[in-house]
Amino acid sequence: MTRLRARYGGGPAHLLASLASLAIAGAAVIGWTQRPRDLENVLIWFGAAIVLHDIVLLPIYSLVDRHTLGRLPVQVAAYVRVPALTSALVLAVVFPTVFGFGARTEHNASGIVEHGYLARWLMLSGILFALSGLAYAVRGRRPG
Amino acid sequence: MSLSVTMRAPRIDPDRPPPGPFRPEFWRSPLRSPRLTALLGLILLIGLPVVAITGLLSNDAYQPGLGGNALGRHTGGPLDLYLFGWPTAPSWLYALTQGLHVTLGLALFPVVLTKLWSVIPRLFEWPPVRSPAHALERLTLALLVGSALFEFVTGILNIQYWYAFKFDFPQAHYYGAWVFIGALLAHIPLKFGTMRRSLRAREEVMAVTGGHSLLSPNPAPVTMSRRALLTAVGGASVILLAQGIGQSVGGRVRGLAFLLPRGRTRPGPLGFPVNKTWVSSGLKLAAVGDDWRLTVSGRRSVNFTRAQLLALPQHTHELPIACVEGWSTTQAWTGVRVRDLAALAGVRGAATVTSISLEDGTYGSATLGHEQVADPRTLLALSVNGQPLPLDHGYPARIISPAIPGVHCTKWIAEMRFTEVSA
Repeated sequence: MTRLRARYGGGPAHLLASLASLAIAGAAVIGWTQRPRDLENVLIWFGAAIVLHDIVLLPIYSLVDRHTLGRLPVQVAAYVRVPALTSALVLAVVFPTVFGFGARTEHNASGIVEHGYLARWLMLSGILFALSGLAYAVRGRRPG
Repeated sequence: MSLSVTMRAPRIDPDRPPPGPFRPEFWRSPLRSPRLTALLGLILLIGLPVVAITGLLSNDAYQPGLGGNALGRHTGGPLDLYLFGWPTAPSWLYALTQGLHVTLGLALFPVVLTKLWSVIPRLFEWPPVRSPAHALERLTLALLVGSALFEFVTGILNIQYWYAFKFDFPQAHYYGAWVFIGALLAHIPLKFGTMRRSLRAREEVMAVTGGHSLLSPNPAPVTMSRRALLTAVGGASVILLAQGIGQSVGGRVRGLAFLLPRGRTRPGPLGFPVNKTWVSSGLKLAAVGDDWRLTVSGRRSVNFTRAQLLALPQHTHELPIACVEGWSTTQAWTGVRVRDLAALAGVRGAATVTSISLEDGTYGSATLGHEQVADPRTLLALSVNGQPLPLDHGYPARIISPAIPGVHCTKWIAEMRFTEVSA
């Protein structure tokens, strides 16, 4: 046991848990091979998800934040950041609908032609900023 | 021997990280802390298993072991769990499990993104690999992050009809879920203690006693509190939760889903949501005209005109159509009991039924289990809300059955094949 710890750097439970999760991932790959072209595309999406998020999107939004909201005066910064972040996180989920990326398929499926999602998201954002402005007016200017 | 060779090859000085993100002072947000990460981890620890389990239940509800329900997927692999026949009661069971799956998934995505942001310095930790255990742990973490992003992104795109991916969604999402479940099952026991300690730890003490990899050694000035950050993330989660509730509960609260495709219906008693319109089916009107016949086969084969079906005993039940995309709608359906049709075809005892549509798309046929066939509420519906079925809702006749995925309620039906089974 001590030898395992010295060589491996962790206990047996650590080794077993890690190997089990790799084994399950291996079994999933077998599942995907049922459609060989699927496997390739799935693996590309898997890798791209990590790279795009960790190496591209996260640095970009951090830099944008630092050079825009990060420069606001301390007294108002939080009151801009909170609604901006909420609005951005909502958009991170509903952007395909807001920008109409699935509009044609959606129309075929539901029989409804729907516009104005972008306006609704903008309105939601407006309401969030207005609420935050209200909070600032009520408490933000109080000292401390 | 070989160990010493591999140790010598890369010139990595564990005490001197290269400049940039590999150095702790690069990370300046005063908001990152082990406590914040632990709090977000706790929320996900409670929420993600519900999303995972309801997802697996959805696979079960599709009954992939029956007929062509698996859509070409082999169901004999190690991860192709198909545990039990799907129950028919309560009738809103699938609407509930799938509504939870999609709604909670939507609401947790902001938390997932924030959690990933909170631990990003760890991606650049130095030295990159300390031991074989550390290497394995980083590999399983890559699986966890990759599969979480993969599952959330494919699910979120799928419910918004943006099929940007070239792979088959059900299959990719199903096996991807297993990668996620496997990595999560390893992650939870390894990190549970850390989470508990971090929730109790005092950061002021931590900062003095040697710091922590998630505490910036030279934090930027504070412009928003952690409470403000959690308010922002929580606010996004609540808004997205409302989107999911709106489309899955439907009725008067459907409008809550004002940022999703299923937040609105067409007017009138027959305007409830439809999964596939008549126009997009590509069928011709002649196919459902006076010459239309339904073939029902069991021990014998019988053909019915629509008038003959209307002459059989009619039953009405309030039943939901619940879509895998997380929306549902409950209506009053009237038609012939499927088990009465089984009897007319000479079927004895338990039987499954495969219903085949005039339209041969992906879900052009579906097989219901013997539980569904035996349930008196499983109907071949001819009317809805007191009016003949409209074309969009499956005229001349469609299947409706409690608690099954919506796409198994075959529309524009042409044929029903009963197969006797031992229940």
